[in-house]
Amino acid sequence: MSDVRNLPAELTIYAVRDAAEQGLGWLSQLDADAGDAPLQIAADGVEEVDAAGVQLLIALSRSLAARGRRLQLLQPSPVLQRALACLGAAALLGDAAPAASETAA
Amino acid sequence: MSQNPSDDDLIAEMLPAFIEEANEQVAAFEQLLLELEDRPDDHERLDALFRCAHTVKGSAGLFGLDRVVAFTHHVETLLDLLRDGLLALTPTLSTLLLQSNDTIRDLVATAQLPDDAASQAAREALVLRLQQACGEAAPSGTRRAAPAAAPAFGTSQRATRWRIAAAFGPEVFRNGMDPLAIFQYLEDLGRLEAGHCAFEQVPELERLDAETCHLRLSAELQASAPGGLSREEIDHAFEFVRDDCELSIEALDGPASADAEPSAALQAQAQVQAAVAELRDLIKPSAAPAPAGAAPARAKEGGSDEGGYIRVHANRLDEVINLLGELVIAGAGASQLARQTRQRGLIEANQRISRLIEGIRNSTLKLRMVPIGDTFARFRRVVRDTAAELGKDVALEIVGGDTELDKAVVERIADPLMHLVRNALDHGLEKAEDRLAAGKPAQGRLTLSACHESGMVLIRILDDGRGIQRDKVLQRAWQRGLVPEGVVPPEDEVLRLIFEPGFSTAEQVTNLSGRGVGMDVVRSNIEALRGSIQITSEVGRGSCMEIRLPLTLAIIDGFLVGVGHSRFIFPLEAVVEVISARPDQLVVDHHGRGCVDLRGRLLPVVDLRRLYGLDAMAAERPSIVVVRAGHRQLGVLVDSLLGQHQTVIKPLGRLLRSLRGIAGSSILGSGEVALIVDADALGHIAASSRHATVQPAAETRLTDPTRVPTADALSVEGTRR
Repeated sequence: MSDVRNLPAELTIYAVRDAAEQGLGWLSQLDADAGDAPLQIAADGVEEVDAAGVQLLIALSRSLAARGRRLQLLQPSPVLQRALACLGAAALLGDAAPAASETAA
Repeated sequence: MSQNPSDDDLIAEMLPAFIEEANEQVAAFEQLLLELEDRPDDHERLDALFRCAHTVKGSAGLFGLDRVVAFTHHVETLLDLLRDGLLALTPTLSTLLLQSNDTIRDLVATAQLPDDAASQAAREALVLRLQQACGEAAPSGTRRAAPAAAPAFGTSQRATRWRIAAAFGPEVFRNGMDPLAIFQYLEDLGRLEAGHCAFEQVPELERLDAETCHLRLSAELQASAPGGLSREEIDHAFEFVRDDCELSIEALDGPASADAEPSAALQAQAQVQAAVAELRDLIKPSAAPAPAGAAPARAKEGGSDEGGYIRVHANRLDEVINLLGELVIAGAGASQLARQTRQRGLIEANQRISRLIEGIRNSTLKLRMVPIGDTFARFRRVVRDTAAELGKDVALEIVGGDTELDKAVVERIADPLMHLVRNALDHGLEKAEDRLAAGKPAQGRLTLSACHESGMVLIRILDDGRGIQRDKVLQRAWQRGLVPEGVVPPEDEVLRLIFEPGFSTAEQVTNLSGRGVGMDVVRSNIEALRGSIQITSEVGRGSCMEIRLPLTLAIIDGFLVGVGHSRFIFPLEAVVEVISARPDQLVVDHHGRGCVDLRGRLLPVVDLRRLYGLDAMAAERPSIVVVRAGHRQLGVLVDSLLGQHQTVIKPLGRLLRSLRGIAGSSILGSGEVALIVDADALGHIAASSRHATVQPAAETRLTDPTRVPTADALSVEGTRR
């Protein structure tokens, strides 16, 4: 769990396939661990996002929910925050994890 | 919108008015569009154009004419883009709109008939093209915010708060569409609230194809514009995903009401108010069109209703005019009797009545007067389409469109005019390259003008084309046997040959004109209106058709003269002066033609007695009435001058219809019949050297002269064509 999980700068239709692979990788890593700690992902680097990107995050959060876990986006970039709000997916921002909570990992 | 039977009755009653009004709007639409072709950036006209479509759609909705509404909606959408400057009016677009306008006209005309598959298919094809045209105005997220106050009725329901729900299809992402961009665009229109994305519709990551769209979004949009938003404006955001998206848009409040509760009562009330307003407009549409010379002013009005109008059926007017005719005759009889009594009081009373009758006559006839400009304006489209078809570049100029004449005349002159205009386009004006080769500007000019001239209306159709070649005309006339081979008639008669039946000089017969069936029909139509047509032409410079028409078919001011026992009436406007004839100076030939010296000019004179073979002694002191006949003046030798006379024109009976030089008859107060002289035609008889025109033709001799009211005084020998 030492490796840093980052969302790519481009979270759009052009990159969602790769991002989905990455997400599946994170999920299998989680499966190795017991417990219900949230999946924390640094989201401050997201520069571009579209509805396909938002949908990917929703799918990830659904997978996590199935495991009794949840998604925690760390320091979501303004672009991402706006996109999630606009599409009614603000719930993903959750308790919009402040930088301090990074220690929880 | 009418379950109530009395509403249905009302609508059935109003429907003809709607159709008439819709036709006016459609005509105005066409005019505006054609005017816009010259000035594509004229916002007033664009607005007026939009209003035309909008009015048709609005009132069609009122009558439940769904086809009209549905189709016009697409036109309106396109016009809206034009109005907002998101599209430019290109010739292609203009043609598309003209075709759409034609379709609207057809839809209105067939509104009550069931739809047929062919026209439905044609309509759908047009709708597709309209939508494509709309698509060219890519919104690219920068469409300006909602216009604050657009026309608001039924079609574009406005509200400040809308609920929007969109379920996007699986292919949306792969088609390059981004729902996020759509929702961000909506944020330009207002505030998005209560946004919700149905997470449960999105599969878990393990089962997700990241490029397939599973998004179902909903939100409430609080409009930022004070006037609220229309459904169309929201709908517009989804334009590019419309086929791949289940969209529902519902208003959450009444029009522009701050109340967030959906208020059905409020909406219903607004609809009723709008319906009442539309009905009010329907009841007082423009009966008399605005002067068409003032087309720009008219355009501003977009179907003016200034001053208020009453729509009256033409039959009722005709009834009044018929009665008036009787009144005029009866009045003239009373005046004559009064004069015979030599009682001053009675004579004066009668004069007053006569003046009043004259006033009523003038006002009544004015009721029937319409400007010819509306008819002219129709030719814009004809010229545009025909020129395009022929590959010619032609500019149409309209002069004197506000010249008024009787509605019946206007209606009946439209077809002959159409033929002449097409002829000018087809035969007269050359193709651009031929024009340039001839040293003329590439664009041809066609001028339609109208003006008043001595009590007639003069309509000119002027082109700067190749003109008419006299030798070609003559050769054709020889070929067709219209003129004996080798005989060369005088200059001005050569051109008149083209009005002879079966004449055509077109080397290439097109489907527009040139079948040789037209010009003689044109002439007879014009002559049936008591009008005349003249043609002048200069080779290489162009041709000019001059049509003279009476202002009205009903009543004229006449100048009554006597020849023997016969009475003739000249239209007063045609009379220039009266001179006394000195028998020693005037010699007429046996056709009744001669000349006198009028202040140094040679004046041709016609002797009606000789011309019509009237058998009465010549008067001791005859007079010559000088009348205008086309461009010339003509003297008419008469026995006595009987003064001004209000003349109700009665048509000649079938027997006398082909009588040359006579336009109609009238019944005098005394019960006598007077013949109304057609000065123009008389001029042609006087100028004609062809004896055939005045020679008696045995087979046309009347066999039963007693059937003619004035048979004692009139022989038609030698006066038939």
